[in-house]
Amino acid sequence: MKKLLITLLMILAIGCEKKYVVAPEEKVAPKEPVKQEAARPEKPEVPKEVVKETIVPKEQKPLEIAMPAKKEAPPAPVAKEEVSAVLRDALFDFDKYNIREDARPVLDAAASQLKKNGQINIIIEGHCDERGTNEYNLALGEKRAKAAKDYLASLSVSPARMTVVTYGEERPLCTEHNETCWQGNRRAHFVVSGK
Amino acid sequence: MKEEGRRLKAEGRKTNRMNLSFVLFFLFSVFGLLLISAFSLQPSAFAKIYIDITSPAIRKLPISITSKGAFEAKAMEWVIKNDLEFTGIFSFVDPGVPGAEMTVFIEADTSDGIKVLASINDMIENREVFKKQYLGKNMRSIAHSISNEIYKLVTGNNGVFRTAISYLAHLSSGVKELYVMEWDGNNPLKIVSKGLMTSHSWSNDGGLLFYSSEKDHKWKIYAFDLGEFRERVLFHSTGLNLVGNASARGEVAFSSSRDGNSEIYVVNLDGGNLKKLTKSFGIDVSPVFSPDGSKIAFVSDRGGSPQIYLMDPDGGLVRRVTFEGSYNTSPSWSPDGKWLAFVGMKDGKNQIFMLKSDSTELRQLTFDGNNESPSFSPDGMFLAFDSDRDGSRGIYIMRVNGGEQKKITPKHIRAMSPKWSPYLK
Repeated sequence: MKKLLITLLMILAIGCEKKYVVAPEEKVAPKEPVKQEAARPEKPEVPKEVVKETIVPKEQKPLEIAMPAKKEAPPAPVAKEEVSAVLRDALFDFDKYNIREDARPVLDAAASQLKKNGQINIIIEGHCDERGTNEYNLALGEKRAKAAKDYLASLSVSPARMTVVTYGEERPLCTEHNETCWQGNRRAHFVVSGK
Repeated sequence: MKEEGRRLKAEGRKTNRMNLSFVLFFLFSVFGLLLISAFSLQPSAFAKIYIDITSPAIRKLPISITSKGAFEAKAMEWVIKNDLEFTGIFSFVDPGVPGAEMTVFIEADTSDGIKVLASINDMIENREVFKKQYLGKNMRSIAHSISNEIYKLVTGNNGVFRTAISYLAHLSSGVKELYVMEWDGNNPLKIVSKGLMTSHSWSNDGGLLFYSSEKDHKWKIYAFDLGEFRERVLFHSTGLNLVGNASARGEVAFSSSRDGNSEIYVVNLDGGNLKKLTKSFGIDVSPVFSPDGSKIAFVSDRGGSPQIYLMDPDGGLVRRVTFEGSYNTSPSWSPDGKWLAFVGMKDGKNQIFMLKSDSTELRQLTFDGNNESPSFSPDGMFLAFDSDRDGSRGIYIMRVNGGEQKKITPKHIRAMSPKWSPYLK
């Protein structure tokens, strides 16, 4: 990555030289924006030469465009990430696996996302808080994940697109021992798995 | 003797294996030691019982232990004292001080392997009641054998000092590893390491460990052969499969959600003859055969909260056992089949309880922190369980009356779900 950046800067530097035909000292310029970005807090020193200032933004622009362009991979993952960013956890009461009132909008939103993006599948993870016993919690987590799946299926999301898995209390989101934390852990969590 | 022969044969078969040292270590430390009884003086024809452990008020037997010879002799003396002390039926008297009703003498010679001579004297009758020579490689297992002899002599019952406890070590990565250690917490041996693991149990002869583990969203039930140090898949399907225990007849009880809902099943040791025993909308998990195989205890939330139920081994005659509290799980049978130990939630914390299987005589045994996974010792005198009372979960043992609760795993290890082995030969 660093190498790439340096090469890019060098290419830019060469480009700049040609474009602006400035004095040889201008060669230093390409390095400056990088330094400035790394140590921005030290900005107070106002550069004396105004010429440099005007060049700086011009050089940054192509850089910004160049970087994402390099990453430009298949477009599908972007949709995947977008969907998984929208999918929220459906929360449950202690030792319960019925879908709560406040979980309905969450699941409704998940269903509409899944219907909009037919190319993605999901894994529904069932989780529990630490208070129960491990074995029972695995069964409980499975019930929660299944309850979420059934709900989504009732909104006509194809069951074939949903895989259920339980982690019981084995993979907690939060490890503190209080109700806020426990509530966060009692959840059905959605992971986008693609096709 | 047949056991020993089979084992030796098994050892011979795989002398070139990488894990041979492991196997040998295990065999010596937990199962076997080369025990040669050069001469053995059996206790006289009438079986005198020094202490009746079934009586409500147990007196303590004053005993003194002396050792002579190599450093190992002293070490064995400490192992034996630790073994006997936990039973709560001995009081130790300094060898020089009068008052001991029984004296134990150990002499060790380590010039060629470990050669130990143990003798026991009845000071009241002033006669030798036991004498035996042991040859072996593992000092600790010889010491545990001597403890068993003393215990048997005094109580008439078999001691558990050569038994083992399996448990799960919980790594910071979230991985759980299955271990076996001696009953006093020594010599932990890793059996398997596989992502997510929960339930596990011993076969009746102590030769197999059953366990469940998850990989790629699939839960499989394995049978691990401790003699061969090898595992095979006993059952797998989609969904959650959690092993319970095996009956004396060789049926393995487990829970599975293969049909979409967690139900209780049994399957033969060879994986055949699968039978579904329950059919309810709710959760059914944690099935355990009673020692005589006449009942299966399990956990179900069919009544609205997790409670312990009993049923016949064919799934018939389901009846609820626990009525106190709204969260009762993890049942374990006492070896005589009269009691169930289980985890009950009280004031938001998990505690160990005991209850007769006819729902009478409920007893709470733990009060500090969260305590889970009770498992009876094969003599029914002790329970292993896990607790987080000191801030980090570890394995504890206690007497069935709740006395002498002590941690047997090191503080820096997170350990849980102990299962006490049957008697190991």
